[in-house]
Amino acid sequence: MAYGMEHILSDLRVLDFTRALAGPSCTRMLAEMGADVIKVESAPRGDMVRGISVFEKERSLYFIQQNLGKKSLCVNIRDPKAMDIIKELIAQMDVVVENFKPGVIAQMGLGYEELKKIKPNIILCSISALGQKGPLSTKPGYDYIAQAYSGVTSMIGDPDEAPYLPLVGMGDVSTGVHAALAVVSALRYRDRTGEGQHLDIGLLDVYYHYHEVNVHQYSGTKGKMNPTRAGRHLTYVCPAGIFRAKGGSVVIMAFLHHWKDLCAAMEKPELVEHERYGTEALRLEHRDEVVEIIEDWLQATFSDVESAVAHMEQFGVPVAPVLSVAETTQHPHLRERGTVRTIDDPIVGEFDIPGMPLRFSRFPDDLPLKAPTLGQHNEEILSAYLKRSPEEVQQLCEAGVLFEKNS
Amino acid sequence: MTTQGTQHVLSGLRVLDFTRALAGPTCSRMLAEMGADVIKVESAPKGDLGRNFSMFRNKRSLFHVQHNRGKKSLCVNLRDPRGMALVTELIQHVDIVVENFKPGVMADMGLSYERLKDLKPDIILCSISALGQTGPLAHKPGYDYIAQAYSGVTSMVGEENDAPYIPLVGMGDVSTGVHGALAVLAALRHRDNTGRGQHLDVALLDVYYHYHEVNVHTPRATEGAIQPTRVGRHMTYACPSGVFRGNGGYLVIMAIFHHWPDFCKAIKRPELIDDPQYNTDQARLERRDEVIKLVEDWLQTFPDVESAVAYLEEFNVPVAPVLSVAETLDYPHLRERGTVTTINDPIHGDLDVPGFPLKFSEFPDELPLHAPTLGQHNEEVLTSYLGRSVEEVQQLREAGVVVEENR
Repeated sequence: MAYGMEHILSDLRVLDFTRALAGPSCTRMLAEMGADVIKVESAPRGDMVRGISVFEKERSLYFIQQNLGKKSLCVNIRDPKAMDIIKELIAQMDVVVENFKPGVIAQMGLGYEELKKIKPNIILCSISALGQKGPLSTKPGYDYIAQAYSGVTSMIGDPDEAPYLPLVGMGDVSTGVHAALAVVSALRYRDRTGEGQHLDIGLLDVYYHYHEVNVHQYSGTKGKMNPTRAGRHLTYVCPAGIFRAKGGSVVIMAFLHHWKDLCAAMEKPELVEHERYGTEALRLEHRDEVVEIIEDWLQATFSDVESAVAHMEQFGVPVAPVLSVAETTQHPHLRERGTVRTIDDPIVGEFDIPGMPLRFSRFPDDLPLKAPTLGQHNEEILSAYLKRSPEEVQQLCEAGVLFEKNS
Repeated sequence: MTTQGTQHVLSGLRVLDFTRALAGPTCSRMLAEMGADVIKVESAPKGDLGRNFSMFRNKRSLFHVQHNRGKKSLCVNLRDPRGMALVTELIQHVDIVVENFKPGVMADMGLSYERLKDLKPDIILCSISALGQTGPLAHKPGYDYIAQAYSGVTSMVGEENDAPYIPLVGMGDVSTGVHGALAVLAALRHRDNTGRGQHLDVALLDVYYHYHEVNVHTPRATEGAIQPTRVGRHMTYACPSGVFRGNGGYLVIMAIFHHWPDFCKAIKRPELIDDPQYNTDQARLERRDEVIKLVEDWLQTFPDVESAVAYLEEFNVPVAPVLSVAETLDYPHLRERGTVTTINDPIHGDLDVPGFPLKFSEFPDELPLHAPTLGQHNEEVLTSYLGRSVEEVQQLREAGVVVEENR
């Protein structure tokens, strides 16, 4: 039981070979739900992201955010003694998670077939950019590579210009969550049948999963509808999108039955049944005019985004200010829900990160998780799991099999 | 065993599904794709509002088909006390209830978590919403892009000095459904172990916020010196990485970190590998516009995107073509993995949709799921779960308590 508090997965043991973002998001979700996660880091540098977002004291904020609640075991993977330790640990685990390039875990002698020999009901979760199989699977992959192959990138920006990249880790993080779902499902199946399995989760599949209409629109109209990026507004209802106001932008979703609410807010009742704007189809046909009417009204009526949002809310129009990241960290709703949370790191102190996005009534409080320093739990893991004495651990440190660093 | 006769990870699980539109139905569809028995309660006479989108033929919505595969439809008049009595009786026969009404509506219907617990003491209720069950914004009408705007994610897409763009993919709704399914599975395993159910609160706002891999920790930790915002088509903490213009289309290139030497070799400029003006990501970030121009000018030497991608791949540079949605449909890798899959709808026939994104080695084949017509399973559900006779179902049909329509 981590941190002396119980949570929903408190009996679970995970050996974690992941690096960067997608894999660590999966094991962090498991740790946030109470699992005992041992992060295996390769000596001497550890997870490569220990070099990203380092603002002071050589301690990476990026690493902290994605590795809350894990124990760090830092070993020289190339030393056979280290591999023996890892195999001995696997025998005591429920789940192994990795996000190497496909094939690497097998080359290390830890492919699914090998793991099964060590622990017959093991669950191995393999996370990758483009999947374990298929013609693209051997290519080096990053979030935006998978996004480009998924067609998602092609849906962002103006139709006659190069598309934009969203500067958020929406593929990696969500892939970690998809993987955690697969792990817990497989675990429940193991609980009931005694059988483990191998899970294959790819960013490409996750990004593709986001297409709520684009794929079936193209397919269902035999190519007559060819979805592409279309600027700042939705293509199948109107008005719905981003509108320019004084001092910023607002999202307004005044389609279907909300159109009359927006007309009331604008004091333009004549537009409700107007010959050019009276239906969804008409508004889509005259979308530029609709956008112009709304933006002209916003600019002429309100001195800032807040007052525009407050006015439209009185009329029941679905609306939101486009908040900057800085604004989100101060917003009362995001604070009250714990959507944004402040954590206290033993080395760099307090700073903000996104909150745990799942809320369980049986476990209303987040676990007070910390991110480990490199090799912080070497001794604890070797003594608690593998019954090595402090002297034996000391010898492994001196032999360079184990490694520790306070950052 | 599922209705459609094949075992999968969650076979035997019973779900009562009150969800509409996209986020909620994605959660219950993920459960159905893993073999759960999902009864979709639709309000007579119209059913799920998702039945009104993407209707290209026969009043049958492709949107409904994609997002409700594998569910049973029970279409009842919820304003009729006899309809509510049926729903209340069904709750005693299920493991899980999922809903995505506006917060408070379930309680108004007499189906609060407390009431559900009276009916079934170990019930798990999963509530999905745009802005959450708690906090000052919870009562507002919410859509995907409203939550996205409040999360700060919208502010990260586009040019710094202009209004942001919205990605035309359901990335918030779909991922929220997956987060919801993860919470359900974790709670289910907890119930199996302890006999206790609980109430889950999953919100789009929290899910979008979860995507911020660096943006939230950066401003606070730098005391405001770095304020993340949208900056066009390229990443801000590594270079070159982003969307580049090629002949006839666009490429994503990630020639960062250890990939820079590979890229220099590919463009036959080996002298740039160690040039202090370019030899680190930091140095290249300081000359970002210059580096982008260098890459884009070189790309002009290729007649098309495919040849540039193929050439860069020979040098192991992470690269991808920005595929359109149309191009993804027949892309060999996406087909081979089942990232895109063809389903056969009883009314529409063959149709492409995104594949199930989780791959289980014990269950290599996807279940052959169909989306129900409105009220298709009224008789089956009422006879098999509630022990009603065919005559009794016929009486309910004639009284308008249950409704059926072939769409």
